[in-house]
Amino acid sequence: MDEGPRIRSRYVTPVGAFGRRDFLRAGLVGALAGARTLWPGNHALAATAPGASGAGPEQGFEAAAKPALAGLAALAAEDAQNGGAAPFPIPWLDKNGSLNQAPGPGQEPSNIFHFKGRIARANGFTGMGTDNRGRRIPFGTVTTDYSFMQGEYWAGRSERQGAFTHT
Amino acid sequence: MTVIPSGALTVSGDGRRATLEMRAVPVVDQPRWPARDTPTRPAQISFRVEWVATDEPVRYEDPLKQFRFTGWRATTRLEAQVEVPSAGFSWRSDPLNTSSASFGIIGEEVNGRYFTM
Repeated sequence: MDEGPRIRSRYVTPVGAFGRRDFLRAGLVGALAGARTLWPGNHALAATAPGASGAGPEQGFEAAAKPALAGLAALAAEDAQNGGAAPFPIPWLDKNGSLNQAPGPGQEPSNIFHFKGRIARANGFTGMGTDNRGRRIPFGTVTTDYSFMQGEYWAGRSERQGAFTHT
Repeated sequence: MTVIPSGALTVSGDGRRATLEMRAVPVVDQPRWPARDTPTRPAQISFRVEWVATDEPVRYEDPLKQFRFTGWRATTRLEAQVEVPSAGFSWRSDPLNTSSASFGIIGEEVNGRYFTM
């Protein structure tokens, strides 16, 4: 299959600039689409189970997310008799079906509940880059956000130490 | 959300500066997101993010939502490399110091059961 025109149409807008759905959703913000499913107990995590179907070039979300889920899946399997070691999502975000919100003044910075530790967040990244065809392509939107949470969290009826990132 | 591997995150002793650097992190390329049930491809991102606290203190607290953040506004920069192998696409950003972020914070938080401790 000729990927050239396809890539062009997927990643470059008519004016040559990138929007959220045009490029760095591929990675810089693409993970956001997956973030809401990266928690144990939901159907996406189930896709990481042994025997789950593999992935083709284009595939369902659960299959595509399988590698990204591996770390949390391992935590969910750890100490499973007590509910697992994966951290809890923020409950009032979970209720709305979105386990993340854009950072901003006054907003809950963390992605996990029952947490105590160091944290940082940022969004609204802007910058430039170059693709493998030499095209200069900007990146970033207000929803391009990164974070880390490092410290103690409560899961599986126990205090635990961990470090997590939302990309 | 992704587990940060050992050694990928460094935070200064005073908590005012942090660097997160991860390589080949699996992510999902879903170009037509947020449309429902649109095709996805496996992709990878390598990135480095730096937060450096400014002198502007920040405190966010909401007893109803049970969280309290104390820290500083932060200058934040990002460099990254993205690969979508099945699409034959890759991209690399310019160096870290050429990027910027409109919002950044760094500090400490307690929430949930730790909020009232």
